[in-house]
Amino acid sequence: MNAQLDNPPETAVLELPPEVVKLAIKDLTFFYGQKQALFDVSVSFAANAVTALIGPSGCGKSTLLRVLNRMYSLYPGQRAQGQVLLDGEDMLSPRVDVATLRARVGMVFQKPTPFPMSIFDNVAYGVKLYEKLSKADMANRVEDSLRRAALWDEVKDKLKESGLSLSGGQQQRLCVARGIAVKPEILLLDEPASALDPISTARLEETIAELKRDYTIVIVTHNMGQAARLSDHTGFMYLGKLIEFGETEQLFTNPVTTRARDYITGRFG
Amino acid sequence: MDHTLKAVDTDLEALSHAVAAMGDLAVAQVRAAVDVFVRHDLPAAEKVVRADNAVDIQDIEIERNAVRFIALRQPMADDLRRPIAAMKIAMQLERCGDLAKNIAKRVPRLTAGTTEAQADIIAELGRMASERLAAVINAYRNDDAQGAYNVWLKDTDIDERHDSVVREIVAGMAAAPDAMGDAIHLLFIAKNLERIGDHATNVAELVHYQITGTDLSNRPKL
Repeated sequence: MNAQLDNPPETAVLELPPEVVKLAIKDLTFFYGQKQALFDVSVSFAANAVTALIGPSGCGKSTLLRVLNRMYSLYPGQRAQGQVLLDGEDMLSPRVDVATLRARVGMVFQKPTPFPMSIFDNVAYGVKLYEKLSKADMANRVEDSLRRAALWDEVKDKLKESGLSLSGGQQQRLCVARGIAVKPEILLLDEPASALDPISTARLEETIAELKRDYTIVIVTHNMGQAARLSDHTGFMYLGKLIEFGETEQLFTNPVTTRARDYITGRFG
Repeated sequence: MDHTLKAVDTDLEALSHAVAAMGDLAVAQVRAAVDVFVRHDLPAAEKVVRADNAVDIQDIEIERNAVRFIALRQPMADDLRRPIAAMKIAMQLERCGDLAKNIAKRVPRLTAGTTEAQADIIAELGRMASERLAAVINAYRNDDAQGAYNVWLKDTDIDERHDSVVREIVAGMAAAPDAMGDAIHLLFIAKNLERIGDHATNVAELVHYQITGTDLSNRPKL
C-alpha cells in the first residue's frame, strides 16, 4: 500500500504491540479556549525509542507535546480531554500531582533556557526539588547528567561559571543535562536544534541517540532529515489530527497517506 | 501535485526524460544489431558498434545527475526512489547496449553466411527482445506500474524461444560441421538477445519499485 496507489487511506496509524508501549495517548482533544487544537489523537510511544512528530506549523505537534506533561495547566481556558497513559496511569487525572508528573516527564524547549546561575547549579537545581542528596552524590549526579548530555568534557573545568556563558549549542545540551538529572522516564524535546549550527546539531543528535537507551524520547522537529536520522517512529500531524504514524523508515521511504507523502516530498499546499 | 520548489520538478522531469531517451536509444541499438545481422551489412554493423558509445555516455550522465539530485535536493519517498531507479535502469540499459554491440561485432565474423531459416529464428528472437525492452521503456515513460508488471510476467516467452533457437542451431551443427564457427557465433547472438530480455525484466522490476515502493522480484509468477 502506498500514497500513489488508488484510494490511499486518509489516515494510517500503526498500533504498537502493548509490551513496547511506554506512553499511550487515547482520544486526546485539546482546546485553547474556544479553539480546538487537537482532534481525537490516539497514538502510542515505545519505550527506549525516539518518536518524532512532524507537520506544518500550527498542526498541533507542539500542543501535543505540551499536553504530555500538562504544561497547559499553567494557563486558564486551556483544557484537554482524553487519556495520556504513562505505564497505564492517566497523567491527565487530577489525582496525579503536576510536580511529580514533570519529574517523570522532562521537557527541553526550542530556545535554550539556562537559569542565571552556575553550570553546576543549573543541573543540580531540579534534583534538589525532588531528592536530598549528599554533596558527593550530587556532584556525581551532575557529572553523570553532563556526561550523558555530551557536555562534560567541555565544561568540567568551569562548572562554577554561569550557564549563560556557554554557546547556544552548549546551553541546549545543558538544558538536556538539567532535564535528565531528575531521572525522568520520558524526555520531550520541542525543536531542540532549531537554533543550533550543524556541528552542535550533530552533537545534540548523538546525545539523543545515546539517551534512548535509558529514556523514552519524543521530539518535535521541522527538520525532516533530523526526524529521519534520529527516530524509530514518526507521526505526521495536520490541522490538529494525527494523519500517519509508523516506522520512520516506512514513513520516509513509502508513506501510506497522500498528505504525509506530499509533506515529506515538499509538495504541500 | 507539483513540488513547492519548482526546481525539484524540473530536475525530476529532466532525469526521467534522460532515462526514457536512453531507453529509446538502447531499443534502437538492439533493433539495428538484429537488422545488420539479418542483412549481413558490414558497414552498418560497424556503425552500430560505434553508436554504443552514446549509450555509455548517457549512463554516466544519468548517474551524475541522479547523485547531484540526491545531494542537493535531499529527496524522500518516491522522490528518492526516482533517482535510485534512474541509476539502476541506466545500468541495465547500458548492458543492453553492450549486448547489442557484441551482436554487431559478430556480424563480420560470420564467414559462411547464415541460412535463411537461421536468420529468421534469430530475427524473431530479436523482435521479442526489442519489443519487451520498448514496452518497459514505455511503462517507465508513462509511470505505468501495471504496464511494467505485464512485461515482468511474460519473461518466460523469450526464454522458451531462446531454448528452441539453440536446439535448431545445434541440430544445424550436426548437419553442417564445416559451419561450426558460425554456429557458435549464432549461439552467442541468441544468448545475447535472451540476456536483453532478462535486462528488460530487471527494468520492469525497477519501474514497478519506483512507482509503488514495493519489490516484484520476490513475487511468484502466475
